Amino acid sequence: MAFAVQKYSFINAKLRTRLSKLLTDDFFDSLVRAHSLLDAMQLLKNTAYAPLDAVYSQTGDLKTAELELYKTEIGIFKDVENRVEGTTRAFCSALSTYYEVENLKRVVRLWFDRAVLGRDVEDSIDYLYRGIVHYDLQIDQLLAAGDYSGVREALSGTPYGAIFGECLPDIQKMNSIFAFEMALDKYYYAELLQTVENLGTRDIRIAHRLIGVEIDLLNINWVIRFKTLYKLPLAEALRYALPSGFEVDREAIARAYDQDRVGEVFDTLLKKHRGVGAMLKDQGADATARLVLIERILEYVLMREVGKLLVGYPFSVGIILAYFILKKTEIRRIMTILNAKQYGIKPEEIKSRL
Amino acid sequence: MMFTARMKYLVAIVLDKHVDELTKELLSLGLLHFVKFQDLQTGLEAKVSSVVLSVSTARLQEIRKRIESFLSIVKVYPGVQKQIDLDRLRRVDLEATEKSLNDLADRIQGFRERQKAIQQEILKHEDIKRQVLLFGDLKSGLQAGSQYSFLNFQIGVLAAERLGDFKAEIDAFPSVVLTFREDENAASLLVISMKRDDAQVDALLEKYGFQEAEVIPEMLGAKEEVAAAVEKKISALSAEQETLNTESQAVVAGERDRLLDLWENLRLNELYYRIQSYFSRTSRTVLFSGWVPAARQSAVEQGIRRITGGSFYLEWRSPEGLEKETRRRVNVPVQLKNPKLLSPFQMLVTNFSIPRYSTIDPTPIVAILYLVMFGLMFGDVGQGLVLFIAGLLGALFGKFKKNMKELVKLLVYCGGAAVLGGFAFGSFFGLPGIVPTLWFNFDELVASGSLPPGSPVQSLIQMLVITLYFGIGVIALGLVLNWINLIRSRQWVKLVFERTGIIGGWMYFGGVYTVYRFAQSGFKALPDGAALLLALGLPALLFIGKPVAEFVERKIHRPELPLTPLTPLRFVFEWVVELLEFFSGYLSNTLSFMRVAGLGVAHVALMLAFTKIMEMLNEAGAPAVGAAVYVVGNIFVIALEGLSAGIQSLRLNYYEFFSKYFKGSGEAYRPVSLKGT
Repeated sequence: MAFAVQKYSFINAKLRTRLSKLLTDDFFDSLVRAHSLLDAMQLLKNTAYAPLDAVYSQTGDLKTAELELYKTEIGIFKDVENRVEGTTRAFCSALSTYYEVENLKRVVRLWFDRAVLGRDVEDSIDYLYRGIVHYDLQIDQLLAAGDYSGVREALSGTPYGAIFGECLPDIQKMNSIFAFEMALDKYYYAELLQTVENLGTRDIRIAHRLIGVEIDLLNINWVIRFKTLYKLPLAEALRYALPSGFEVDREAIARAYDQDRVGEVFDTLLKKHRGVGAMLKDQGADATARLVLIERILEYVLMREVGKLLVGYPFSVGIILAYFILKKTEIRRIMTILNAKQYGIKPEEIKSRL
Repeated sequence: MMFTARMKYLVAIVLDKHVDELTKELLSLGLLHFVKFQDLQTGLEAKVSSVVLSVSTARLQEIRKRIESFLSIVKVYPGVQKQIDLDRLRRVDLEATEKSLNDLADRIQGFRERQKAIQQEILKHEDIKRQVLLFGDLKSGLQAGSQYSFLNFQIGVLAAERLGDFKAEIDAFPSVVLTFREDENAASLLVISMKRDDAQVDALLEKYGFQEAEVIPEMLGAKEEVAAAVEKKISALSAEQETLNTESQAVVAGERDRLLDLWENLRLNELYYRIQSYFSRTSRTVLFSGWVPAARQSAVEQGIRRITGGSFYLEWRSPEGLEKETRRRVNVPVQLKNPKLLSPFQMLVTNFSIPRYSTIDPTPIVAILYLVMFGLMFGDVGQGLVLFIAGLLGALFGKFKKNMKELVKLLVYCGGAAVLGGFAFGSFFGLPGIVPTLWFNFDELVASGSLPPGSPVQSLIQMLVITLYFGIGVIALGLVLNWINLIRSRQWVKLVFERTGIIGGWMYFGGVYTVYRFAQSGFKALPDGAALLLALGLPALLFIGKPVAEFVERKIHRPELPLTPLTPLRFVFEWVVELLEFFSGYLSNTLSFMRVAGLGVAHVALMLAFTKIMEMLNEAGAPAVGAAVYVVGNIFVIALEGLSAGIQSLRLNYYEFFSKYFKGSGEAYRPVSLKGT
């Protein structure tokens, strides 16, 4: 225990201070109710997101402001990584791989749209993150690649080159890069879970729970896309599913995939998490609506797990994970609201999307 | 000043026709801490109904905050002004106000749109730069051709007289034009543009008679020139963006007075309707209630009389009477009545918690204790003067928010305390002999470990003992204050049995006496049996009365509470735990005061170290460096030790002193008033 205290006391104090500065639900309410993007930006002026307004006032461009926020977000987690040592640092480093993987997905998607599907992506390439998380991804070289081998070449020297190579047959067969995206998710979680194994017993238990729920969420999200967008058969879907979920195993995914049995997954989750009863009034009749509802239940479970961590034993990796999840959620919510404001979406509709 | 202000509860009934004028009068008086009459549950709730407001206070507040956010663009913060003028209250047209704000937002948004268009040009230029820099040299870029499909490179010749116009016109697109071998007839050009603009750029080239040509050698090494040209363009575009931003601010600045006027009226309306939101009504009368400091009772009564011409009914109740009538604890708001000079210390107290109604307000005591502790930990005339002057300048000229302003004022006091401490120890920026030593030379004590006979303090141990005595004094004061609080609230059981009650105090002083005698004997013998029994044994035994008294008290309220054969055993367990907690708690509380000496030693030791380094550098022939080290050292000590001493003084007050008597979680007295908006 003394070891855990020594290991986590500083970062625990640091992150708890930062957690106390997370924006409240009341604040988000007023942000949603803001009359315009300009008003919303003004509200952010007195928060940790003041730089967002500074960038917007200078450029008038929300996407540029969003890119700045993305850079700040990565900086925040790199900062956490620099404040811990040993196996915890390795774990934090693996956590920040998330940003690299997400950025790479975005770049390869743009490349694919341009080079394979022949779409105009010029306006989007300016807003890509070009900094380094772990590997120098050679974003511009990658975007300029003429064909698949060019992409592999740009990614050589990183683990992603080999992953892209492995996915290539699927990408070409399906004319979509989702196989690569799934492989990147698999890579990220595998790396993360590998670093988890080097942590202490309590940390392993906590990390498995939280990461497990995140994996569940991702799997359900993919199931929705497999069913509605890609119309994949179950066997294929299962092949892509991420292992190490917390509530949703392969059996549950199979049931969720089945039009007639999706309700079973839903009912099981509801039975386990009675606190989500309030969501029932939104319960949709069709299978996709139920899947979306399952996704929301899992989000609730994730937040409940985070809440438990914050009131529980303080000297564990849980505080880092809780901060990672809450900060990520906060930033996502802010960007959703600001984008909605830019497009003049009504407050009620914004609320339903949060 | 010693206790929180006495409050009176007012219930008033007035005729409906006086409501408007009376609302204004109450707002102008600014004395009533309103309470919804229904909240008190007097049994009359069913006979009255709430007043339906014609305007929503939430909407008023929302629009007001929106104006604040517009004004913040030009760094105007209307909320910090001290008082607003009630005579300027007029009916507010919310629709028109919102429309005018939307118009203003649209105007600013117009600027943002133009800024955005420029931003996209900047991004495209950055893209050109990034892609050009990807090439080893421009030759490879030119050869790469279609691979780098976002860029288009064109090389050719243009007539010299058309060059200026061409450059001006192509500037409308993200592009770079570099000129080579220019003479009076023609110039070779390298034109780099975005592929998406191919059609327009080609048309332009054709319009100006651009003739394609072979690459000339100078072009191939021009990568840096391209980057520099792009940089120049980006700088110009950024400046343009900044100008637009300034112009958008000027739009708000132009509306400043109108916005301030709107803000003031919205705020007045908000307060006006907030007061009315507490009103209840019958068919012809209006009823309201709230708390007023007893000393201002007549002012409120006169105000109501003046407006209603005597047609009113008032009832004034004391908190005690109200509690008796409603048979429950009433939440009485708390007003602290300290002189303005003590406001920084009042902030320290309320930052911990608002004292409960009718208990001791410790502000003046905290002021003394805090400054004594700070002075002992940070005693230096020079450094104290620095804090004093910095605080004074900040208080006189600084523009801070309320709490920050109080902190700055606190700095003035801390500086003063440090100066007095400095005179006590004879220290001036860590140098002895410059100012007289009124108590003992702390610097020398730390440097040599002891002081010669005749000095009031001769060893560090003695210094530690002094701080222990000081701590015992502070704790004793805390206990006495607690007894006063308990006597005033007639909590007799707690007065006797609480850990900070009379038996607790008896045992604490018994413990202090025992330790004192033990130390006097050279840590060899405890006091004799009878003395020990009287000092510690008896009060320890009497402590068993605590769980018993608590049980009896609970049993009175809940007669069904069982008394089992195990109950006495539980009393014994609780007694043992209570004793353990008592001893560990009081011991740590008392020893905690040794930090005062500890921080003082650290302060002196740091200054000694910097003075020594300066002397060594002087001897080594580098007096300038020595002086610099000494100045930096002083700044470092002022910042670090000043902060440490401030925090530790606060900590000792909060945890060792307040824990003995402070009853917090009171509700602050917040009248609806025009002040401090």
